[in-house]
Amino acid sequence: MTSASNKMKLIDALELLKHPISEGASPLKVYLDCGFTPLHLQTFLAAQLRVLCPHSLIDIKTGLYGDFVGNLQRVSPSDMDVMSLVIEWQDFDPRLGIRSLGGWHSSSLSDIVETAERRATQIGQTIIQLSYSIVICICLPTLPLPPLFVTRSHQGSSHELQLRDMVASLASSVCRAPGVRVISQQSLDELSPLGERFDMESEIMTGFPYTLPHASIVAELLAALVQNPTPKKGLITDLDDTLWAGILGEVGVDGVSWSLEQNAHLHGLYQQMLASLASAGILIGVASKNDPALVEKAFARGDLILRRESVFPFDVHWGRKSESVHRILKTWNIGPESVIFIDDSPMEIAEVAAAFPELECLLFPKNDYPLVWKALKRLRDFFGKGVVSQEDSFRLQSIRDATALREFSKTDNGSLDNFLRDADAKILFTLGKNPGDARALELINKTNQFNLNGRRLKESDWLSYLKEPTTFLLTAIYQDKFGPLGKIAVLLGRQEHRRLFIDTWVMSCRAFSRHIEHQFLKYLFEKYDADEIIVDFEETSRNGPLQEFLKPWLEGLPSQRQTISKDSFFEKAPHLYHRVEEDVYDHIA
Amino acid sequence: MTILRDRLIRCFSAVFPTIPGEAIPTASIESLKEWDSLNAVTLITVLEEEFGIRINIRDLTSLSSFKTIENYLLKRDDIS
Repeated sequence: MTSASNKMKLIDALELLKHPISEGASPLKVYLDCGFTPLHLQTFLAAQLRVLCPHSLIDIKTGLYGDFVGNLQRVSPSDMDVMSLVIEWQDFDPRLGIRSLGGWHSSSLSDIVETAERRATQIGQTIIQLSYSIVICICLPTLPLPPLFVTRSHQGSSHELQLRDMVASLASSVCRAPGVRVISQQSLDELSPLGERFDMESEIMTGFPYTLPHASIVAELLAALVQNPTPKKGLITDLDDTLWAGILGEVGVDGVSWSLEQNAHLHGLYQQMLASLASAGILIGVASKNDPALVEKAFARGDLILRRESVFPFDVHWGRKSESVHRILKTWNIGPESVIFIDDSPMEIAEVAAAFPELECLLFPKNDYPLVWKALKRLRDFFGKGVVSQEDSFRLQSIRDATALREFSKTDNGSLDNFLRDADAKILFTLGKNPGDARALELINKTNQFNLNGRRLKESDWLSYLKEPTTFLLTAIYQDKFGPLGKIAVLLGRQEHRRLFIDTWVMSCRAFSRHIEHQFLKYLFEKYDADEIIVDFEETSRNGPLQEFLKPWLEGLPSQRQTISKDSFFEKAPHLYHRVEEDVYDHIA
Repeated sequence: MTILRDRLIRCFSAVFPTIPGEAIPTASIESLKEWDSLNAVTLITVLEEEFGIRINIRDLTSLSSFKTIENYLLKRDDIS
């Protein structure tokens, strides 16, 4: 979802839904709960989801009119992939709508607030309870409150402010629950002006309270929450007239600027945004045509907002920018589709875009305040994530460590065994089922190389899998003397007596060459006293490292269900030097 | 007239996707089982959006066929 809206007309939505769905589309079952007639909101939501999820067969179910809470309590999460809740004021108390004539007497206002608060508590508790079983996307009241308060409309009344406080509390409490996503009020306000949302005639005549443009925007934002695209992972920035104002080679280290006093504040804001992104685990690299020694000195300046340690790597030379991008992507070990490139030169943008068509290239809009504001918001949208995990703070360091590891191997005759023996490595295995482990699900859905079968899991699949009594979730946190890598591997499996079935197994490429994968199998064989482990392998175009790992236990090419016996594993496994610790719990948290 | 008719056919086709194009000009609430209250509301809303007008609720009962809607629109002098 970007800041720009693609407001849809109803006729376009209806026509879009007439288009045939691609063969092999997987179903996406959405439960739309609203207290009003869903009518055009349902149409818009289906159409927006069709746009965002073209390979899904959208199936929207709705509940009963006027019974938002009842619908919420009756829904069976196992029948749905995602829930979309659209709450309006009358769902907290019918007297807050206009179809009820329950009275706006001044003496009733306190009771309306109390009733609404009780209902908000009930809604909040139900949402939190459901959030362990299903993804829930929420739109909190969007319509203006009716003129029931005793103050003039331009003066806030205590009752009105209590109601707004209640909604804000509800939002902040539920958005911390796993799988809950709440529409940003600010985004909605930007896209749909408050005075243009309510259609009183439609509300009274048909029970549908939204104007068409407002319904379209609400549906668009809800669909974006449902789609929840994978954020970009890295940003490559230019330096001169981008990260700072001025050409370093011309004005020198002290001549480049980014402050208000030097009329270069937009560059300071840009640095502040990059520093913020870096703190949230986004990789920041530099591609600059410059003198490396000068850049080194510039980054030693104490007033730079984006600190040197937040940037890796620096690719500074006088060659083509696309060469820099190529090297940086290789260092990060990620694809161009996961990265943004920013430069103030249209020529450099064009050169890089031609070399990497999948890379998103943005022109830095120097001296253009509105465009810089838009660009900052776009950056947040490209990289936005629900939470910042511990692993996000390790990411840059671990890439530096991986580079150090490669250098170490070169100087030590490539002896991996020597390296691992001296690495002082520790693995913490966690065996338990935590549906709120966002990092584990993230790893499953973005890891390509050490990936057992390439299958991605929707949050509903993840939650359903964990609910099965025979399944287990094993994750690993790794650290060695080069630093912590955080949670780097996830395995989903099932136990059937003394046989274990591995359905999903991924490990971050940052953790390669440390024999962590061998330690996984050793741990499972010993923990479950298993005779054999059957892996649900499937070859993909990118899981070569996983295939390499399996080779010692296979005869010929790997087949889909591959069995590794205990004896065979221990016979061929390398010596493992890690210290292993474990944290075991056997319940769904 | 032709342009208005084409736009009206597009509206009907969007709301009633199963009707063949040639059957639209003769469509009516009696001949079309899909023309229920829900689709009637959708059709009116699409017409309002497409032609930039508000349709009075009192007129709804008389707008029960393609032909009556076409005549209704032809009489309006405020359509966009």
